[in-house]
Amino acid sequence: MLTYVVRRLLYSIVVLFAASFIIFFFVSVSNDPLSFLRMQPTASEITIENISERKHLDEPIPVRYLYWVQDMFTNQFGTTTIGDRPILPDLTRVMGHTLQLVIAAELIAILLAIGIGVYSALRQYSAFDYSATTFSFVGLATPVFWLALMLQVLFVNIYLWFDIRIFYTANLSGIDPGTGLSFLLDRAQHLGLPVITLAIASIATYSRFMRASMLEVVNSDYVRTARAKGLHERKVTMRHAFRNALIPLVTIIALNLGALLSGAVVTETVFALDGMGFYYYNQLLLGDPYPVMAWLMVVATLVVVFNLVADIAYGILDPRVRYD
Amino acid sequence: MHKRSILLVVGAVALVASLIVGPAATAKSDAASAGTVVIGHDQEPVTLNNLITEGNAYTTSLVTNTVLASASVYNQNAKLVPYLVDAAPKIVKPNPLTVSFKYKASAKWSDGRQLTGNDFRATYNTIMNPNFDITSREGWEDIASIKVNGKAVTVTWKKGKAYAAWDALVATSPYPAHKMAGQNFNDLYRNSIDVASGPFKFVSWQKGTQLVLAKNTAFTAGPKAKVDRVIFRYIPSTPSLFQALQSGEIQVTEPQPQLQIVDIRKNSRFKVQSGPGYFWEHMDIQFGPKGHPALKQAFVRQAIITGINRNQIKQALYVSPGLVGSAKELPVLQSHIFKPFEGNYQPNWKKWSFSQKKVITMLKAKGCTGGPNAPSANNSAVWSCPNVGKLSFRFTTTSGNQLRALTFEIAQKQLKSVGIELIPRFGPAGTVFGQVLPSGDWDIFMFTWLGGPTSSSTSFGLYGCGGDQNYMNYCNKKGSALLQKAQFTPDPAARAKLLNEAEAKYLSQDVMSVPMYVRPGFLINSTSVKGPVLNPTQQGSTWNAQGWTVG
Repeated sequence: MLTYVVRRLLYSIVVLFAASFIIFFFVSVSNDPLSFLRMQPTASEITIENISERKHLDEPIPVRYLYWVQDMFTNQFGTTTIGDRPILPDLTRVMGHTLQLVIAAELIAILLAIGIGVYSALRQYSAFDYSATTFSFVGLATPVFWLALMLQVLFVNIYLWFDIRIFYTANLSGIDPGTGLSFLLDRAQHLGLPVITLAIASIATYSRFMRASMLEVVNSDYVRTARAKGLHERKVTMRHAFRNALIPLVTIIALNLGALLSGAVVTETVFALDGMGFYYYNQLLLGDPYPVMAWLMVVATLVVVFNLVADIAYGILDPRVRYD
Repeated sequence: MHKRSILLVVGAVALVASLIVGPAATAKSDAASAGTVVIGHDQEPVTLNNLITEGNAYTTSLVTNTVLASASVYNQNAKLVPYLVDAAPKIVKPNPLTVSFKYKASAKWSDGRQLTGNDFRATYNTIMNPNFDITSREGWEDIASIKVNGKAVTVTWKKGKAYAAWDALVATSPYPAHKMAGQNFNDLYRNSIDVASGPFKFVSWQKGTQLVLAKNTAFTAGPKAKVDRVIFRYIPSTPSLFQALQSGEIQVTEPQPQLQIVDIRKNSRFKVQSGPGYFWEHMDIQFGPKGHPALKQAFVRQAIITGINRNQIKQALYVSPGLVGSAKELPVLQSHIFKPFEGNYQPNWKKWSFSQKKVITMLKAKGCTGGPNAPSANNSAVWSCPNVGKLSFRFTTTSGNQLRALTFEIAQKQLKSVGIELIPRFGPAGTVFGQVLPSGDWDIFMFTWLGGPTSSSTSFGLYGCGGDQNYMNYCNKKGSALLQKAQFTPDPAARAKLLNEAEAKYLSQDVMSVPMYVRPGFLINSTSVKGPVLNPTQQGSTWNAQGWTVG
């Protein structure tokens, strides 16, 4: 196992190195970071020249790439093109916020999806199963931005009709969030809608996988054998079927986590939630390539890491899988 | 088993729901606390230093204008009115241009130090320091000397370099000399401002969420702020901004033109103000070697402007949907130099009124062939003119902007009816502005110039021969000479005369660009907040925030 992990980590370094060049090349050629400055009728030429020189913008792309790699390792992802603001503190801040969102959404999604998936499989073709299937497809087909906006409209109207604030529609905290319990309550009210939005999409996906996996397992020989031994149905389901049915879901969750931790761009932007996705959107609007590159590198790393986690988890859960 | 499973599922759902909704639902509804105004804005500042490039944004001005006050402010009519100065700055001598002004005796910094002419001089020295990323040094670089006597300042420009927008330059917010000394200005006020000269002072900035200002109790140069706090909340999605407004999370906002404004107008809980601003949409025409040869012919350009119903476009975009209060609020733009609400505005382009029949007559008279005999919405024939080919032009603009896309569609249909073809070449803003526009490799380019009250004086840069921002490669020597002369004419009346002469006689006759409309600005406030007034300049909605009250 250890050899396998080390080998995968070494492969990952090569993958990330290749990703870094692709990211740098495509982001660099897609935008001139000083274009907005050049568009201003009164922009100072000295300033434009100074920034160009400082950030090596007049050098060829391969040379700029080397400067960027150097900056990434020696200067914590370096600084922004204009203003020389350090990138890492901002990334760290938004990563923390995204973690809060993703952990809450995934916990809810996993809990509900497993329940729905298992019950649907055990009661295949029942009214519940048909309803769960319908809702899953609706959940999968619903665009996230639309769902987010509809939730906003719904809770704003609840507020207007009943004068009860259940959830806020935007931002991570209130104007005076307070401390202790008051802070937690405020945070829950602000995270509520984005968490529901993300959770609905995840529940739809996970519950389908859980149902399919459970159906496969409950009809397998070893489950039939367990029943033939005279085990209690609950024991058969929970100990023999359920645990094995979880294996594919764990893989899906691990892969999904990698994507979610890089920020749910649409959800965070609609709810103005200061997370990874919101950060990415803002930096794209500002047209500064270096924070965008830093974000993409973090995302690439997360995807590689969670792929590895998924593989390892698979091996742990399924004794038939062995790593050479 | 069956019942137990159902109970398990229901229990899990109830647990999760109670975890989220339970504590939250018990919360009381919260209007913003008394004395606090919450402004929602779609963009967050990057820094609080508005002189350097990354701080050169409207959103930064909204914050800093109330903290680092200007000598004079632009009011709702775009007129400069004294604020930190005793009286409007005066021209002492026209050549070399010499201007004097005096800060009020009551003008001081929040840390107790007096605000003096040394602060203005230190600001000048900082702006002229090449090591700092100052956005613009225009006007400052032609200053010959600054004499300071306590609170009195006399600024003299180099001979023959009289800066036309001198009044706006001396109105600049002075930065505190005692705070700038020995500092790297690029790093100053990156995350906070530790001193104030205006009615508000900086309190905190929770990046990605909100920025808080509080009343500056030490402010004595004018009326003190009536509200205790002004809080900026940052919500980039416009629909979300409207939801936050409806639910009382924000009370004031300046949204982009959106159809939700129509509904908000009907809601008695809100007050909506709209009016023309300084951002004007236009279609530039390429005169350079990479442009279409037909566009070098005046009659073709005149046919294009005559074939576009600019009034209909403006009506379709803003008036008919009910975005602006009335058609009068947003007249068709008939000048590239002045805006309809400015005193010196003259409708110099009015001569090009819409007439499809006239377009066909004009083109036929010049020997063009292959076009329609009469205007028709179903026409597919395109004119070809002697030596310049088919009247089929690339139309470049930014992608993802619905209003621009709609403008294009309407103009395309109107011109198609008379045998002129427009082919869309849309692209991301970074590409079309960064690469396509400066390259000159386009025929017609639609975009917005972001101007201000002093923009007219810099018209040479846009329309003069060899002007820095003259991406059209347009050159009319007589017109250009007048524009250049205007650039160094400090007297506003004399300058306006020169600019209007240049536009009426040369620019509008040449039709180097089609003025479309001035983009309207919107200011929405909850009726619980009294006092916000729409301001068409970069001063923004907070220009009179000290007078706002919350009831």
